[in-house]
Amino acid sequence: MAAVTFAQTTQRYPGSDRPAVDGLDLEIADGEFLVLVGPSGCGKSTSLRMLAGLEDVTEGSILIGGRDVTDLPPKDRDIAMVFQNYALYPHMTVGQNMGFALKIAGMDKAEISRRVADAAEILDLTEYLDRKPKALSGGQRQRVAMGRAIVRNPQVFLMDEPLSNLDAKLRVQTRTQIASLQRRLGVTTVYVTHDQVEAMTMGDRVAVLKDGVLQQVGTARELYDHPDNAFVAGFIGSPAMNLLPARVEGGEVVVGGLPIPLPAGVQASGEVLLGMRPEAVWPADAPTGLAVEIDVVEEIGADAFVYGRPQHATDQKTPFVVRVPGRGVPRAGQTLHLDVDPRQVHLFDPASGLRLG
Amino acid sequence: MATTHSTAPPPTEDGPRRPAVRPRVTRRARARRRQGALYAAPTALFLIVFFVVPVILVFRMSVSDWGLFTGDLGLNAPENFTKALDDRLFWPAVWFTLKYTVVTTVILLGLALAMALVVQESGRWSAFVRTSFLVPSALGLASASLLFYALYSPQASPFNAVLEWTGISEDPVSFLGSPDRALWSTVALVVWRFAGFYMLLLLVGLQSIPGDVYEAARLDGASALQTFRRITLPLLKPSLALCTILCVTGSLLAFDQFYILTKGGPDNSTVTIVQLVYSMAFQGSNDLGRAAALSIVVLGGLIVLNAVQFLGLRGDKDA
Repeated sequence: MAAVTFAQTTQRYPGSDRPAVDGLDLEIADGEFLVLVGPSGCGKSTSLRMLAGLEDVTEGSILIGGRDVTDLPPKDRDIAMVFQNYALYPHMTVGQNMGFALKIAGMDKAEISRRVADAAEILDLTEYLDRKPKALSGGQRQRVAMGRAIVRNPQVFLMDEPLSNLDAKLRVQTRTQIASLQRRLGVTTVYVTHDQVEAMTMGDRVAVLKDGVLQQVGTARELYDHPDNAFVAGFIGSPAMNLLPARVEGGEVVVGGLPIPLPAGVQASGEVLLGMRPEAVWPADAPTGLAVEIDVVEEIGADAFVYGRPQHATDQKTPFVVRVPGRGVPRAGQTLHLDVDPRQVHLFDPASGLRLG
Repeated sequence: MATTHSTAPPPTEDGPRRPAVRPRVTRRARARRRQGALYAAPTALFLIVFFVVPVILVFRMSVSDWGLFTGDLGLNAPENFTKALDDRLFWPAVWFTLKYTVVTTVILLGLALAMALVVQESGRWSAFVRTSFLVPSALGLASASLLFYALYSPQASPFNAVLEWTGISEDPVSFLGSPDRALWSTVALVVWRFAGFYMLLLLVGLQSIPGDVYEAARLDGASALQTFRRITLPLLKPSLALCTILCVTGSLLAFDQFYILTKGGPDNSTVTIVQLVYSMAFQGSNDLGRAAALSIVVLGGLIVLNAVQFLGLRGDKDA
């Protein structure tokens, strides 16, 4: 178990003008479960692979347990990785797959089978030890991949989107298993995913990346309640936060004719980007407030989500989302007049996207 | 009134059930089957005329006194077989063919594997090398043999010119002059001609190994040699099995290259089994019956060898 540090780590492919990872500065505490999340091409997998030693570091350095590993090959870094497609050895049994690294390291056979048996028990794989990967289901293969990492007793676990090949229900199930396993073993884990729900539910802290640049790192609650910029605001939370252009006039933010008092301690003027989460707005009784024409209503049981277009800005590309209770749901074609909770609004600079206040 | 569904009528209370009504669909199925047979007929005919009939003919010949010019003179089993097996060149030919097969297979597949490993990276240089390894496949084996016949000629061989020029050897080397030299010179020809082809087959096998398996091996601490031994080779087993079977079968039936390069010489030291069959049929005694008997023996040997290979090389069906 060890802390991991990215120090100004940069990865630039030869011949490309923009670095895949640009000056990443990230400290991961010993035993922490950190999730790297972001859209495709944001550099999260590249960062993980640099940590693994599978990609070269162009500039900067990487430390594991205080030791500079930037130039060390993967096998000398004392890490283990779970691949997106599991990368199991097709010609070996589950037991041989899990014991392969130990065999290479020259460990004695009795010790290898003991370790493999222990890991198999934790992961419920004991009855599959003699099967080949071909005879396993997706979820079982995923557990074998994890078992292969666990037996190594590494300082750091690396996981590259291990759940993305599972069906939705299995994904939810395995998510909790992985989180509780990590808590039980206490090994520092760096976990890459594009699914922000996974990120929010699994990590001690979440690091959001975009275009190779770290946007924000913090707990799920911090990212949800205090996004540092418009990108994080729109990325974290599902359905996404509504972002509308608005104007600050006389101590109030005016959007679509609806004035909202400025949150305390926020200095802003002129044009701003106003962020409101779907649960921060609700249909008002009177025909005042922000008018939204309903396009689609999604009923998911306890709640319903209303997708529409604000009347004052019908050219908005992304729909405006409102969460309403599951009973008495409005219908498509109606116009909602919305009230906004002034304590739950976020203001961003329209040019830089940075948070104001 | 006609029914449109082929169901059995419901059982009646009184009397026995009527037998199920034959559905109309059968007539269409029968017509489809007839149509299918008609489509397959030309190929079936081709197969029968050019494959089944000759094989039956060979079996018939092998038990008959059948000369090249005298024709079928009646049954004489098992005389053809005993005379073929007693031929003074039979066991030498078998021995030589087996020796040639082992030598060629080991060298050819080893070289092809090395080439495939070198060339599997993508890149402009490796694409060029890959293509140049495949160029010899454009020549038929007979043409390639003629080419090498000229290259090995004692009077005008460019190899000899190079050897003299570099000072390695003073006198011109006779490539086909001794039994050993003849064998190795022929092996060189065959390797030149076929290495590219087998390299291609092994390349396909190599590329079917998923890339992240190698990354996993790197993380597990395997060195290049360990990765090759424990990951690449086992996963290549199906491809290697295919190449081995192709190479062994092809080598056991070697004819063109020896007929053109050495004509079985010097002194009958490079006579292969098929050459023996040929010479029995069209030279010397012109005895088709005996040649056919020898062919049947070769067939039997091939079947046994292929069965052994299949069982031994079946490898991991789960990989």
